[in-house]
Amino acid sequence: MASVALSEAEKVYIVHGVQEDLRVDGRGCEDYRCVEVETDVVSNTSGSARVKLGHTDILVGVKAEMGTPKLEKPNEGYLEFFVDCSANATPEFEGRGGDDLGTEIANTLYRIFNNKSSIDLKSLCISPREHCWILYVDVLLLECGGNLFDTICIAVKAALFNTRIPRVRVLEDEEGSKDIELSDDPYDCIRLSVENVPCIVTLCKIGYRHVVDATLQEEACSLASLLVSVTSKGVVTCMRKVGKGSLDPESIFEMMETGKRVGKVLHASLQSVLHKEESLGPKRQKVGFLG
Amino acid sequence: MLKSKTFLKKTRAGGVMKIVREHYLRDDIGCGAPGCAACGGAHEGPVLEPQPLDPASSLCPRPHYLLPDTNVLLHQIDVLEDPAIRNVIVLQTVLQEVRNRSAPVYKRIRDVTNNQEKHFYTFTNEHHRETYVEQEQGENANDRNDRAIRVAAKWYNEHLKKMSAENHLQVIFITNDRKNKEKAIEEGIPAFTCEEYVKSLTANPELIDRLACLSEEGNEIENGRIIFSEHLPLSKLQQGIKSGTYLQGTFRASRENYLEATVWVHGDTEEDKEIILQGLKNLNRAVHEDIVAVELLPKNQWVAPSSVVLHDEGQNEDDVEKEEERERILKTAVSEKMLKPTGRVVGIIKRNWRPYCGMLSKSDIKESRRHLFTPADRRIPRIRIETRQASALEGRRIIVAIDGWPRNSRYPNGHFVKNLGEVGEKETETEVLLLEHDVPHQPFSQAVLSFLPKMPWSITEKDMKNREDLRHLCVCSVDPPGCTDIDDALHCRELENGNLERIDMVPELLSSNLCSLRCNVDRLAFSCIWEMNHDAEILKVRFTKSVINSKASLTYAEAQMRIDSAAMNDDITTSLRGLNKLAKILKKRRIEKGALTLSSPEVRFHMDSETHDPIDLQTKELRETNSMVEEFMLLANISVAKKIHEEFSEHALLRKHPAPPPSNYEILVKAAKSKNLEIKTDTAKSLADSLDRADSPTFPYLNTLLRILATRCMMQAVYFCSGMDNDFHHYGLASPIYTHFTSPIRRYADIIVHRLLAVAIGADCTYPELTDKHKLADLCKNLNFRHKMAQYAQRASVAFHTQLFFKSKGIVSEEAYILFVRKNAIVVLIPKYGLEGTVFFEEKDKPKPKLIYDDEVPSLKIEDTVFHIFDKVKVKIMLDSSNLQHQKIRMSLVEPQIPGISILADTPNMDSDEPERKKKKHEK
Repeated sequence: MASVALSEAEKVYIVHGVQEDLRVDGRGCEDYRCVEVETDVVSNTSGSARVKLGHTDILVGVKAEMGTPKLEKPNEGYLEFFVDCSANATPEFEGRGGDDLGTEIANTLYRIFNNKSSIDLKSLCISPREHCWILYVDVLLLECGGNLFDTICIAVKAALFNTRIPRVRVLEDEEGSKDIELSDDPYDCIRLSVENVPCIVTLCKIGYRHVVDATLQEEACSLASLLVSVTSKGVVTCMRKVGKGSLDPESIFEMMETGKRVGKVLHASLQSVLHKEESLGPKRQKVGFLG
Repeated sequence: MLKSKTFLKKTRAGGVMKIVREHYLRDDIGCGAPGCAACGGAHEGPVLEPQPLDPASSLCPRPHYLLPDTNVLLHQIDVLEDPAIRNVIVLQTVLQEVRNRSAPVYKRIRDVTNNQEKHFYTFTNEHHRETYVEQEQGENANDRNDRAIRVAAKWYNEHLKKMSAENHLQVIFITNDRKNKEKAIEEGIPAFTCEEYVKSLTANPELIDRLACLSEEGNEIENGRIIFSEHLPLSKLQQGIKSGTYLQGTFRASRENYLEATVWVHGDTEEDKEIILQGLKNLNRAVHEDIVAVELLPKNQWVAPSSVVLHDEGQNEDDVEKEEERERILKTAVSEKMLKPTGRVVGIIKRNWRPYCGMLSKSDIKESRRHLFTPADRRIPRIRIETRQASALEGRRIIVAIDGWPRNSRYPNGHFVKNLGEVGEKETETEVLLLEHDVPHQPFSQAVLSFLPKMPWSITEKDMKNREDLRHLCVCSVDPPGCTDIDDALHCRELENGNLERIDMVPELLSSNLCSLRCNVDRLAFSCIWEMNHDAEILKVRFTKSVINSKASLTYAEAQMRIDSAAMNDDITTSLRGLNKLAKILKKRRIEKGALTLSSPEVRFHMDSETHDPIDLQTKELRETNSMVEEFMLLANISVAKKIHEEFSEHALLRKHPAPPPSNYEILVKAAKSKNLEIKTDTAKSLADSLDRADSPTFPYLNTLLRILATRCMMQAVYFCSGMDNDFHHYGLASPIYTHFTSPIRRYADIIVHRLLAVAIGADCTYPELTDKHKLADLCKNLNFRHKMAQYAQRASVAFHTQLFFKSKGIVSEEAYILFVRKNAIVVLIPKYGLEGTVFFEEKDKPKPKLIYDDEVPSLKIEDTVFHIFDKVKVKIMLDSSNLQHQKIRMSLVEPQIPGISILADTPNMDSDEPERKKKKHEK
């Protein structure tokens, strides 16, 4: 993972600031930096989103492909996550350098989506036991500037919101053989409900307090942080501690409460931004990568 | 401006793919109207006329351009091809849709747009900034295309208004879709249906005949009873074929019986099998060559192929009861064993309709515009067409295309396409022959002609690169008289070391004039140079591109004369003598190896120089020089075959002639046995030897007859790709490898071989298709198919010219030999004309004679006379024109006399004379 080297004095400055609810860039402990979201940036995917948070830059593409449902869940489709750590983000990722981090992030994503409520997997089933949609969620790290998990989750949620799956009909004849028919109207597609898709809020323990949306410098001052995945209703779906330090139970509860509170606000503002963007219609001038 | 186009596609594996293509919009696409200031000169190729004055339409008297939609183009291409229709804007959207839906129509429309005279302009509306439309929500692809066409039509009208207000140029949208037309008129675009427009062209009433009559789907069921059951949709058929309920196959109508057909089922697992279809309802509107889906009937409904000859003669078209009665005739009681799988057509997978040649059978009712058309091919049903010029078309060969076959119609509906000319005329009949055998014979397109070098043509420095200059050699060509495509030249000289060098030349450029190795001009050639010793053993072989200068072009006879006359001793003559000497050795060696010399009588027509009608028939004479040219051509072909196979073992184009299975020879062996001769057929060599020995001092023509018979036992020689086959042997020539190299003007195969050879000697570079063995195999398949069709056409043409000859000659009696004996007929050969014909002993409306056929000998006993193969008979030849579309040569027996069967040579037979008179009446 990308990191910065800080002198003791710088660390002390940051820790003391946090103690006073005053961070280096002027934020309070529960404030996010400005998030930039744009969806539908890659035309040959089913859905895509690009999210920039501080210096962190994430691109997510969702590709819907037809496949067979898993044996244990014959009535459901499923999601596959793949995280690519581009060497653009940091030179350390060159070659296989980013593989470990990629696997770690992908596993985290599998875990937070591994429950019935986060996404309606049944709607991805085309015909039980035979055909279903598999959503390949590909995450590309373009730049790492701290708070990777939160940014990725926002981007995944935005990309899923943007995803349009072509509507297909299963035709069945008297003999029971099935044929899939595709509508020739490209606008005739199904959308996913992202209402319950959770987002991760990472809480960094700095000194006696914790902050959300830590910068790289702040991350360097923290020994342990807690990832809390929260839905828009404030329900915690998953939790994970990262970092080599320890957390006492008391502060864990505190951090969870903060996570729920901040997560609800985060979901609400993301939702409103996504709806606002969509209301601009297909004629919206796209910013893309050159903007 | 960049746009992206997104569409979804189903993959073959059943998945769904999203495909995104970049789409560029431009603002420099011209409208095609010359003199348009807004887009002046931005268009290339054929353009519209600035002042389109014709055709005068009563609906829109102002000058206008036409803009047809996709369906109009697809169905009314015959109208659009008419010279009267000009100044048409073809949209890119329309063109693309046409290409997806019908390749033949697409090709035709491309030909029309390339024709300068027609003033068709292709407007790339999909890339024009102002006419591009994106598919909107809730709109399917068809709606979008319709909208795109309307947008383009509207744009055109506004654009032209801008250009010249006083001109009042209009673009008229032609569509047969009622809704589309309404929408267009709402948007202010002048729109008509094709029918409305064509009918308004008062100056060209004949165009109405060429309109395809398409009944609109809605009113199809309203009138008349439904005769046929519905065709199932394609998706159902495919499911049925997958599950095995239906079988897919090619529909082959019977020539003899219009109520019967067979379907060849081509499955990959089971062996090919044949299904019989009987009765109109079971045939269910399938037409010969269609790919159909059939359902097998239960076993108790199976039938046997009937041997009844039935021709559709009913004029009263909807007489269905009568048909049913006729169908019952077919179902004669037969033994269980004779029953064959029987089925019925449930749907059509692919129509293989083409324009058909034939004649009009005028309706009995006067003033009627609906007439039946009888195709020349008996396997095609009669077609109902609507025409006002019936009396003009009577007695003429015409072309008709099928438009559709509604469920309530006894016959398919079609429309008149073209008038070929008077029946029986030479040009007309030749055209019919070419069309019916699918021989493309249109003039070459502009695109092809543009590749020809400019005249006058001369050899440039660039040509000389990679070429050897052989102009100093004394080369000459030997060909039949009147030959325009001289494609090989020969030469032979004695080298200093006593060896003989000899060169065979083949031109390389494709054009009848430039490629012809005419004398005293420089021509490019591809040479095969052998160094041989005096025993004709090849010491060295070399191939090179060259430039030659032929010193003389001789005919076979002239060349022969030079060789024979002792007085001549110039360079050409000595060269010819040397060649002749070598050829004799080569031939001897080839025959020793077992090459077959089979003869089939080749017939030449003596043409009247004025009318080009044949006035006399003559069998071709063979001279020593014929065989000399042949020997060296064979040698060149074999040497080239070896070379290209050496170089490209996987993708050399070769020609093979498979050995025939022994059973093919049975007839030959039996026939020889009847004359106490033995023919051995185990190898080509023994066959050749035994044929040489088979001579009868009392019957000198016997040997020729045997050889003719042997020809009939042979297999067809075919082109193939060396990588796809492992048997290269050429049976007839007794060569282990063979190809065609010597006639690139006439055969495409030779061109491919030329290219391969050029690459092999490093004179040219290769291209991907040349080294793709699957592509090459496909090419071979097409070559073989075209070769076969050309042969059929050639045979039919010879037959037709023979008919013309006998028409002028009247009835003649000639000596003939029996070639085959059949159950109810004998096949005879008349040596004088090289003509083969069948003498039938069973005739309609006559008492049947007592016939005993012996398969073992084989012989046929009629009353008291026995016929064997090779018996000499005398036959009377005359032209039978009782069926105008199928005139044929009829032969009847004169000698030996059999009471009631043979006819007298002198007294004209009433039977055969009557059709003659009828024919004359038509000619007036």
